Amino acid sequence: MLNRETAGDRWRVRPDGPGKVTGRLAYLTDLAAPDMLYGLVLRSPHPHARIRAIRTERAAALPGVRAVVTHRDVPGLNAFGISRQDQPVFCFDLVRYVGDAVAAVAAESIEAAERALELIEVDYEPLPVLDSPEKALAEGAPKLHPQGNVMHSNEYKCGNADAAFAACAHVVEETYSTPRQMHTYLETEGGLFVPEPDGRLTVYAPTQHGLLDRLQLARILAVPEDRIRVVSSPIGGSFGGKDELNIQPYGALLALAAGRPVKIHNSRRESVRAGLKRHPMTITMKTGIDASGRLLAHRVRIVADTGPYATLGAEVLNFATEHVIGPYRYEHVDVESVSVYTNNGMSGEFRGFGGNQAIFALEGQMDRLAERIGMDPWDFRLLNLRRMGDPGPFGQSIAQTDGAYQVWRKLKESALWQERAEGRNAGDRNAGGRGTGNRDGEARFPVNPAGTARPPWIRTGIGAALVMHGFGFGVGLPDPAAGRLRLAEDGKIEAVFGYEEFGQGLLATLEMLMIETFGFAPDDLRLIIGDTDRVPDSGSSTASRTTTMMWQALRRMEVPFRRKMLEAAAILINRPAGSLKLGPGGVADADGGELLVRYADIAGKTAEPIAAETHFHFPTSDSEKIGAHFLYSYSAVAVKAEVDLLTGRVRVLEQYHAVAAGPVVNPMGYVGQIEGGSGMALGYALMEDAVMENGRYLTGNLDTYLIPTIADLSGSIAVEPIEDLPDGDPYGPRGLGEIGSVGLAPAIAAAVRDATGVRVSRLPIDPALLIGRPRDLWKAVSGQ
Amino acid sequence: MIGKTNPVPAPAERTVRSFTLNGEPVAVAAPPSRRLLDVLRHDLLLTGTKIGCEIGRCGACMVLVDGQPMNACLTMLYQVEGRRVTTIEGIAGGADAMHAVQRAFLEEGGYQCGYCTPGMIVSAAALLAENPDPTDEEIIEALSGNLCRCTGYGGILRAVRRAAAIGREADG
Repeated sequence: MLNRETAGDRWRVRPDGPGKVTGRLAYLTDLAAPDMLYGLVLRSPHPHARIRAIRTERAAALPGVRAVVTHRDVPGLNAFGISRQDQPVFCFDLVRYVGDAVAAVAAESIEAAERALELIEVDYEPLPVLDSPEKALAEGAPKLHPQGNVMHSNEYKCGNADAAFAACAHVVEETYSTPRQMHTYLETEGGLFVPEPDGRLTVYAPTQHGLLDRLQLARILAVPEDRIRVVSSPIGGSFGGKDELNIQPYGALLALAAGRPVKIHNSRRESVRAGLKRHPMTITMKTGIDASGRLLAHRVRIVADTGPYATLGAEVLNFATEHVIGPYRYEHVDVESVSVYTNNGMSGEFRGFGGNQAIFALEGQMDRLAERIGMDPWDFRLLNLRRMGDPGPFGQSIAQTDGAYQVWRKLKESALWQERAEGRNAGDRNAGGRGTGNRDGEARFPVNPAGTARPPWIRTGIGAALVMHGFGFGVGLPDPAAGRLRLAEDGKIEAVFGYEEFGQGLLATLEMLMIETFGFAPDDLRLIIGDTDRVPDSGSSTASRTTTMMWQALRRMEVPFRRKMLEAAAILINRPAGSLKLGPGGVADADGGELLVRYADIAGKTAEPIAAETHFHFPTSDSEKIGAHFLYSYSAVAVKAEVDLLTGRVRVLEQYHAVAAGPVVNPMGYVGQIEGGSGMALGYALMEDAVMENGRYLTGNLDTYLIPTIADLSGSIAVEPIEDLPDGDPYGPRGLGEIGSVGLAPAIAAAVRDATGVRVSRLPIDPALLIGRPRDLWKAVSGQ
Repeated sequence: MIGKTNPVPAPAERTVRSFTLNGEPVAVAAPPSRRLLDVLRHDLLLTGTKIGCEIGRCGACMVLVDGQPMNACLTMLYQVEGRRVTTIEGIAGGADAMHAVQRAFLEEGGYQCGYCTPGMIVSAAALLAENPDPTDEEIIEALSGNLCRCTGYGGILRAVRRAAAIGREADG
């Protein structure tokens, strides 16, 4: 197990830690400028309406108001979107959701800005609300975009699934539904926008890809990219939710219009209304096996509600299309998927990226099929598992590892799974019957530590799920990587990457890589990220890609940078470079380790700057299937959960995660990613859904949108990394940022089944499904 | 360079209210109903106290008033008149000092993005001041008004246990 004790010296205090625990670290929404204005955005009150007129004169005339902007004031492209620019900066003809922006104001005070918003008059003609993919796809539905309401569709087929079902001994059909989960980063969107004396614009606002924000803002403002500087870290959480532009266009336009700095910081209510969510999906699966349990045919239909605009909705759908096939072998596969424009809230990129929905459904199928033929669900998975040498889900070439089997085996050997097997052997379980799943054998009313018997309306169960999760963007998408090392004039070694720190521990990981690759001390280093004026185009901090990309970049730069450093030192101290090595504080004797010359004494003494830079591309499959992944991480999750039959509430007691993601670069970060990711998955499984009705959110803040508290997550978690990679594997540590957020939800569903006999196909799990019937209650109190 | 230098707040029916902030007397001229959150973040430039929901559900703005944890978003200026307010900037009792809870959060990795961390640390420090050797149940009770979206609370729970142990070692 990985924890502070087993990690030893590699469990290190993060470089950004002291600033965070003391409150001294200034987040970008903490910044202020002496003469700044406050910006606010006017958003549509209607999920779908035609705009007849926009009148801003009264707002502009209000004392203290310094700028009012609408679509008429966008000098460049009045649209944005990472992948497809179909979201208006300011709406002008139609509004398509309740977060759509129509105008923005900047004023001397928040109060004046609020008053100004009230004075903007917009004439709307409400239109029929397409509040579901079904309505949006219906014949005659109004088109939300010129090309219609199908934002994107995809498919993957091999063999002939329809024909194969006839040959199956058993077929399971089920429809799975997943919720509109909110990222709920604690720091809402915001930032400071500063027009500089030289005419440039500095944007201090969180994003997951500063250079892409710069590109998008340059298009909107119709200025060259180098006229904009984006400072984008530190970030108070993102999880994909700040990947797309949010308030940046408004802050930028207002600052340029007013000629003064403008601060915008969304209220939580505005963040809920305008921000991205996880795509709600309806996934129908029909899966068939032969009499021995081998998978023969798998038919899947995915319908995703992408909301009014694309952002990365197409890419999310591609990911789901790949991951509903997952780590299993089938002869016949038939997947069709569609992502549909609606007047609901914006769906978009969110940790797990379509894998959460897909794998909840797929793992549900595996459990149902195993049960159908009376097999242990874990053995059933092994029978059908892709093994080393097999292609990926789309039949594509992938980097081969034994990860799927490794995590399978670790889970099989885990104490939790053993406990489940022992419970089964004790015979006091009934896999099928509702409310008969008490698996505590003789100790029917086991004694808890407080010395009281566990009441009979508490049932426990153990379930598990297996995850094969791609990382990087996959085939057909630009996925650049880059890094730079430099000995600065003051003697600091600069490690420069275009990545963002939103909490994942990127800086800590980079520091550890620099220390362990070169032998530097932390004080020797200056880590530079999150500033478009300073960083190379390293690609985005998304898709679980940054640790792998930093590792690969340092591998590429290691030899030339070390050589340049040692050669410079060799000249200075007149010793052969071969007798020297890099060490803490300076160049040292390769044998004795004695410090010979400090880095500060080398800096500035060389004819050429000492630097190394690399640019490369994320490794991809040779497949032609867009979005097919080449690199995968694997995990297996077991969970023990308790169901209260009186309330229908589920408590997670114990979690076990086996994770095969290559070497552990940063132990604290590794544990944190799995613990934190699974915390999100627990919320996804048990409580989170940003419910909408007629295109309007029924939740506006954290009083009605509940995320797990420490009380919900007080159960134990064991994290077991499997670090082995095949000999000669050139790709290094695998992606870890998302996989922890995927497997727990299907594992909880399996544990609930084990505890109660109830099969869940919709998340979050509805407690009403789990409340015991009166007969159970009667038995509970009578003891009979 | 952009720093923390806010403009003067808009004039309103201001009155001067005095209280003790992180051990120092302060007098703030502002409307009596002004949120303590705005007094701290905006008027006094103490941005360690964070803003997350503004309805007292997330705990990002937790401060101590006479040692009791309170959401600064639900506390008005007049309510702290004459009282002792402690924010994350003053929790350690000195500019370079570090509270045992802060040290434990660093060592255990009780934070990721760090945005909930000041409020979480304030709540944990209040617990340990009152109950130096809490059970897990007492820790969970004390921190259940502070939301964290990054860590899953594992590192936080370990950090508070660790801080209690540091306290016991110091006493022993």
